[in-house]
Amino acid sequence: MSKDYKDSLPISASRFMEEFMRLKRGSVSRRHFLGVTGLGLAAAVIARVPGLQGGAAYAQDLGTQMSIATWPNYHDPATFEAFTAATGVAVEVNVFGSNEEMLAKLQAGASGWDLFVPTNYTISTYVKLGLIDELDIAKAPNFSPSTQNTRFTNEGMVDGKTYALPKNWGTTGFAVNTGKIKTPMTSWKDFFELAQTEADGRAMVHDYQLTTIGNALVSLGYSFNSIKPEELAKAEELLIKVKPHLYAINSDYQPSMRATDAWLTMCWTNDGAQLNRDMPEIAYILGKDGGEIWTDFYAIPKDAPNKAAGYALLNFLMDPAVAVKEHIANGAPTTDSRVIALLPAEITSNKIVYPDEAALTPLEFGAAVTLTDPGRAELMARFKSA
Amino acid sequence: MPLAPATKRNLVTSALVAPAAAWLFVFLVLPFIAILVFAFGERAPEGGYQAAFTFAQFANLGSRAAAFRNTMMIAPVGAFLCLIVAYPVAYFLAVKASPKYRLVLVSLVVVPFWTSLLVRTYAWMYILGSRGLPNLLDMVGISDVRMLNTPGAVLLGIVYGYLPLMIMPIYVSLEKLDLRLLEASADLGAKPLSTFFGITLPLSLPGVMTGTALVTILLLGEYLIPQLLGGGKVFFIGNALVDLFLQSRNWPFGSAIAVTLVAVVVLVLLVAMRIAWRFAGTRQVDLV
Amino acid sequence: MTSASVNDIEFRSVTKRYGAVTAVTDINLAVPKGAFVALLGPSGCGKTTCLRMIGGFEQPSEGEVQIGGAAMAGIPPYRRPVNMVFQHYALFPHFDVEANVAYGLKQMRPKIEAAEISRRVGAALEMVRLGGFGKRRIHEMSGGQQQRVALARALVNKPKVLLLDEPLAALDKKLRTAMQIELQTLQRELGITFVLVTHDQEEALSMSDKVCVMSAGRIVQFASPQEVYDRPANIFVADFVGKTNRLSGTLENGNAVRLSSGALMPVRDTLLAPGTALTLAVRPEAIRLAKAAEAAGGIAGTVTHRIFLGSSVEYSVAVSGLGDLLVTAERQSLAADGLAEPGDPVRLVFDPSGAHVFPA
Repeated sequence: MSKDYKDSLPISASRFMEEFMRLKRGSVSRRHFLGVTGLGLAAAVIARVPGLQGGAAYAQDLGTQMSIATWPNYHDPATFEAFTAATGVAVEVNVFGSNEEMLAKLQAGASGWDLFVPTNYTISTYVKLGLIDELDIAKAPNFSPSTQNTRFTNEGMVDGKTYALPKNWGTTGFAVNTGKIKTPMTSWKDFFELAQTEADGRAMVHDYQLTTIGNALVSLGYSFNSIKPEELAKAEELLIKVKPHLYAINSDYQPSMRATDAWLTMCWTNDGAQLNRDMPEIAYILGKDGGEIWTDFYAIPKDAPNKAAGYALLNFLMDPAVAVKEHIANGAPTTDSRVIALLPAEITSNKIVYPDEAALTPLEFGAAVTLTDPGRAELMARFKSA
Repeated sequence: MPLAPATKRNLVTSALVAPAAAWLFVFLVLPFIAILVFAFGERAPEGGYQAAFTFAQFANLGSRAAAFRNTMMIAPVGAFLCLIVAYPVAYFLAVKASPKYRLVLVSLVVVPFWTSLLVRTYAWMYILGSRGLPNLLDMVGISDVRMLNTPGAVLLGIVYGYLPLMIMPIYVSLEKLDLRLLEASADLGAKPLSTFFGITLPLSLPGVMTGTALVTILLLGEYLIPQLLGGGKVFFIGNALVDLFLQSRNWPFGSAIAVTLVAVVVLVLLVAMRIAWRFAGTRQVDLV
Repeated sequence: MTSASVNDIEFRSVTKRYGAVTAVTDINLAVPKGAFVALLGPSGCGKTTCLRMIGGFEQPSEGEVQIGGAAMAGIPPYRRPVNMVFQHYALFPHFDVEANVAYGLKQMRPKIEAAEISRRVGAALEMVRLGGFGKRRIHEMSGGQQQRVALARALVNKPKVLLLDEPLAALDKKLRTAMQIELQTLQRELGITFVLVTHDQEEALSMSDKVCVMSAGRIVQFASPQEVYDRPANIFVADFVGKTNRLSGTLENGNAVRLSSGALMPVRDTLLAPGTALTLAVRPEAIRLAKAAEAAGGIAGTVTHRIFLGSSVEYSVAVSGLGDLLVTAERQSLAADGLAEPGDPVRLVFDPSGAHVFPA
């Protein structure tokens, strides 16, 4: 047998550590896994270089330390090092598994964050609960409203006031291993059908009500954000019918897709791009019947202990030269045309990262009520325990 | 006036106990009181807690009946499987293993605890995944074997993860067992199986009960193994709690479930102690 | 006559090794039916190994053990017609007294009826004078009572042979003496063979019909208690059984020994050649003590200690060239208790029949 015995081993030690470190960095799934494992509460201080004095641009006293709450593997670590070098402010990075967790922590008070990264559909809730302040855009002169694609940035504004500035946007589609599944797929209807037939035992849905229920609704012709009981009942019926055929209910789908344990999964843009980059047979598809589009923002908590530094970092991140490095590191598309201009062609031409306008048209932004609706939470619990 | 010796002793005792008591109060009693209060409250419209006094959360427990049912079934079954696997190991370690190697062997049982259960369970994902054992089976012609994300994988993970917790108490009680009792039993005409069920098992019952109660209680709160090895399709109370606190942020309902879970744990402990108690009178000097 | 019909236990060239260590070597032993045999020896002499080979807890490395004429090779303990009273009794702590005694009966096949078990258990407890203690927990019983429970638990099964492993070692002296008599009585009443392992020579001599003295894995002497005491097979037996004065000398002629001190000592006729170097074992009671002024002959010495033992008095007498000798005097044989005091010069007169001669 010509096959190296090592190929037959379940996994080599180095490969396991690699996978595990990837998991710890969070690239496999930013939203859920770390929340489940508790790793999300781990905090890392990226840079602590005291004594470096800020340049002229930061004449104001910024202190020596600040804290940001964000998603795992969502930034280029060099960004924070550069910020510390420029300002003398060390950045403590707290990573979280879900918007809900961030909300819970902020709601509990004394989070100590000076900047955090909420997703579009949570911002109005933060405003309603009085957890974030209106931003003083004058303190972030690098932000350029005129070069923003407002399609993605609107939800940073509530009642005409700007509460959050955009970081990047993305979509929720599905990834399919075309080496295993030959039937062409174009919609969420296809997704749920093939999950019961050609991909029986090989399909994964998110362990996240917003996307799992939302996409089920879409496949039935309803809105991604529906909270109508009769539509939710139909979605529940579908999900419970599909459940026995599923490989897993897990937002940590990259390992299973890479191992080809799973052939089909709900998927976020950045994961889709990564999977496709490493395994070209894995395609990333946006439902022509609909799906989710989302934007992550930067916002400053009302009780931020070092707002000056929060603004300084926000402004730093809005600098296109910084933002382009962030883009390359995390993979999700930008909302700022100044950044697009700086990107290499292989990124801007990647249809996973920058889909055609037509593909985006049927997609919906998640709604605030979708996140907090108790009916959807209970539906998810019934689905998972069925 | 110098303190009376008894008073002085009491003061010393208090001083020694105080840190632990304070720790327990701050990190166990207070949070439990908070959870108890939450359990009678309401979910705020945007999630979290809103003050109220209602039994609605407890009335709603039925909506997690499936989670309770799964947990109540898997916890004892998992503990029992652990017991079946652990007992022979503990017996071997305590009775059969050469004293020369015993310490090393016992250490080997404990060594996995030096690594987090998360990492070890993650390793199982690779072993059971299609590039692991199924791949090896495929090479000898047995193809398309599914191991990961099956109830069997969850049980395997449970037995693997909790085995040391079962082995150690049984080992300790078997190690105290006077081997002459086994000889006496054989001498009186008992065949090996009769000796095991008549003498060995009853005398190791305190260890068996301790291990079973320990594993059962921990399993009642388990959520990681079903999530990772069961593909999230097996829903335990632990998973329900994670979702309620971190996803839908229905703290009052989560609290009510947590309080109920604590009540169940207390019940399990009481039953276990009852059974162990019956044999407690037997742990006499002549055993040691 | 065939040995099987007469001997309950027979060892045929039995050797037992544990790895490189040989515990017993070439043991040949026949225990007649109904005998009370004591295996006596210092710890490590192999006596317990022999007992465990009868019980079936050890298998001989070589040779064969027979019980009631049947070879026992490969027969596990639970199929052997013997029962053992274990050292420290090994009573089941989770059972009450009754359940302990009933344990063996409950193992029997065909099954014995509960009422019959209960009757036999009651009788066994009566036999060891523990009637009415059936419901007691083991830890509620005293050491002596536990001893009797262990006895009842073994005897209730009506074994061919009862094995006793240091059964009295854990009891205080008074209880031990009482139990010695009780065990002897029981054995006579039941008429079954008892094999007792002990390191206590007094216990062995007082209870058994025959004593098997063991040393370093071998049988040194197998004889009646009197014979072992009066005619020890070698200096080891003489030393180990009873008290002995050890002297050395050279055979002068057929019945006198020139001691190392130069004194001449009468001995029984021996077939050894004159001039043979000898070791003598002289029992303390075979030496008569006389006041120096009142006796001629014998060996001169000085009393160093006087130990009052109740029925007898023990003297330690320093003899030049021989060291300290032990002399026992029965009290009724003395004119007065104060026959001699420490410091008194005395003369020692040897009784030739109480001196045992062994080639050195």
